[in-house]
Amino acid sequence: MKPWKTSLAFVILIALTVSAAAFSKGYAGIFTFSLIINAIMAISYDIPARSLDFISLGHAVFFGLGAYFFGIAVSNGFSFFQAFTLSVLLSAAVSGMVVLLTAGLSHGYYSLATLGLLIIFQRLFETLEGVSGGSAGIYIPEPISNFQCALLAAFLLLATAACHVVFSCSRWGFFSMETKADEQAAEAIGIPTRRLKILCLMTGAIPACVAGILYLARTSHVSPISGFSLTLSITALLGSRIVPINGVLGPVLGILVITAAEEIIWTKFQSFNLAWFGLILLVAALYQGVNFRNLKKGTN
Amino acid sequence: MIQVLISGLFLGGIYALLAVGLSLAFGIMGVLNLAHGSLAVLAAILYKKSLVFYSFSPWTFCILATPLFLGIGFLLHFFIAAPFRNLSPPTATVASLMASLGVALILEDLFVRWQGWEPISTYIAFPTVHLPGLQIPGMRAALLGMAAVTISLCILFMKKTDSGRSMRALAQDKETASLCGINPAITAIGAMGLATILAGFAGVFYSVLYPLSPREGIDLTLKALFIVVAGGMGNLRGPAVAGCLLGFIESFSGFLFTYTSTDIIVYSLLVSYLAFKRGRRPQ
Repeated sequence: MKPWKTSLAFVILIALTVSAAAFSKGYAGIFTFSLIINAIMAISYDIPARSLDFISLGHAVFFGLGAYFFGIAVSNGFSFFQAFTLSVLLSAAVSGMVVLLTAGLSHGYYSLATLGLLIIFQRLFETLEGVSGGSAGIYIPEPISNFQCALLAAFLLLATAACHVVFSCSRWGFFSMETKADEQAAEAIGIPTRRLKILCLMTGAIPACVAGILYLARTSHVSPISGFSLTLSITALLGSRIVPINGVLGPVLGILVITAAEEIIWTKFQSFNLAWFGLILLVAALYQGVNFRNLKKGTN
Repeated sequence: MIQVLISGLFLGGIYALLAVGLSLAFGIMGVLNLAHGSLAVLAAILYKKSLVFYSFSPWTFCILATPLFLGIGFLLHFFIAAPFRNLSPPTATVASLMASLGVALILEDLFVRWQGWEPISTYIAFPTVHLPGLQIPGMRAALLGMAAVTISLCILFMKKTDSGRSMRALAQDKETASLCGINPAITAIGAMGLATILAGFAGVFYSVLYPLSPREGIDLTLKALFIVVAGGMGNLRGPAVAGCLLGFIESFSGFLFTYTSTDIIVYSLLVSYLAFKRGRRPQ
C-alpha cells in the first residue's frame, strides 16, 4: 500500500480522535462515538476479510461478548478497571474458542458458521435470564464519564488501525496474501496456514470485544439484539467492502460513507432502515461483481 | 413420544422442501441464496392475502401461483446470480451471499410494511385421524404427502427431462456442458425459477401448520442452508433426509426444553457439524 494512503487514513483517524475529545456530549458526541465504534468494527473486520477473504456475517459476536462480560462484571460490583480487564480476558478466551472452531472452514461455510454463531449467542443470552437479564438485557450505572469513554474509544481506534498496518506489513501479512491466492501452494512452501488464520482472526476479534465494552460503558445498556446485532455485522462488512482501496484507508473511508448513510436512513426513513441497508449491500455486491469482471478483462 | 416423532416428521418434510430448492440453486449456480426463506415468507403472505378473496386450499394455491413463483425466481436471478457468473467460485459465492442478504433485508422490511408484525397463519380445519394412542392431524399428513410428492417430482424432473439433465450437467462441469450445446444462462434461470417454486410451496405449507413471522425469512434460510450443508450441497436426496432429521431434533428438543433452548441446540448441532465435518472439505 502506498504511504500517502496510510498517512491519509491516519489523518482522518486523528481528526476523529480530536472530534471525540471536543464533542463528548449531545448529538455530536453520540454521532462521533458511534462513528468511532463503527470504524473500530470495520477496521478489525477488514484484517481477516481483506487478507484472507474471510467474510464474516457474525463479527458482532465478539462485540456482544465484550459488552456482556463487562456488564455482568460491573453488575457484580467490580470497579471499571477490574471489570474492563476481566471482560477483555474472558471475551478474548471465548473469542479464541470461536476462532478455533471456525478457522479451518472454507469461505462460504465460514460465512454461514459465523451467522449461525451470532444466532446461538443471541438466543443463549436471551435464555440465561439470571445472568444476562434475558431479552431486556443489562443496565449498568455509568462507570466512567462520556469524555473518558470517547477518549478510550479514540485510542482503541488508533491502536486497531496500527494493528491493521503492522499486520499487513509483517511477514504474516505477506503469508496471508500467499494463502489467499493459493492455500495449498502456501502450505507446500511451509506457511503455517492454520496458525496464520487463527492469528489473523484473533487480531480482528479482540478490538471488537473492547469496542463492545466501551459501547456499554457509554450507553449503559446492552440487550441480545443490540449486542449480537446482525445490523452491526453488516455495517462492519459494508464499511470494509464498499470502498475498493487496500489497506487501512479502505475501511476508514467506507465507514465514513456508511455511518453517514446510516444516520440519514435512521432519521429520514425510520420504518425502512433495514431495507436501505439491504439496498446498500446489494449495490455493494453488484459493484463488486462489475469490479472483478473489469479486473479480469484488464480494464480496471 | 410417538406423537412428537410424528410432529417432527411433518416439520421435517417442510424443511426438506425448503432445503431441496436451496440445494438446487447452490448445486447449479454456486449461489448461497440467503433470500430463500424470505421467498417462502412472501408465498405465505400471498396465500394469506388470497384467502380474503377465495378460499383456496394450499395445494390449489400452489398450483395456481407456480407461474408467479417462477417469474419471481427469474427476476431474482438477475440480482443474485447473473452478475457473478464469470467470477471465480469462492468470490462468486461470497458476492452472491452479500447480494442475497441485501435482497432478504429489503424483503423483510417490505413484509413488515405490507403485513404488519402480526404472524402469518393460514390454518385450515381438517379432520384428525384417530388411531389407538395416536392422533394424526389430517392437514399435516396431507401437507407432508404434498411435500413428498413435490420433492419426488423434482427428482424425476432432474433425472428424466432434458432440462433437468442440462441442469445436472451444468452442476457437474460448466465448460463441458457449454461445449455440448447447453446454454448456461438459460439453464441457470430455470434452476432459480424451480428453486423459487419449491420455496413458495414450503412457505405456503409452513404457514398452514405454524404461524410465520414476517421477519423469519433469514432464520428459515439458515436452517435450510445447514440442512443443505449436512445433506450435501447440490444433491437432492441428502437434504430431504437431513430436513426430516432436523424436524425430529427440533421437535424433540422443543418437547424436552423451551423454545429458545431449541434454537440453541439446533444451531449448535448444525454449526458443530459444519465445523467438524462439512466445512473442512473443499467446496
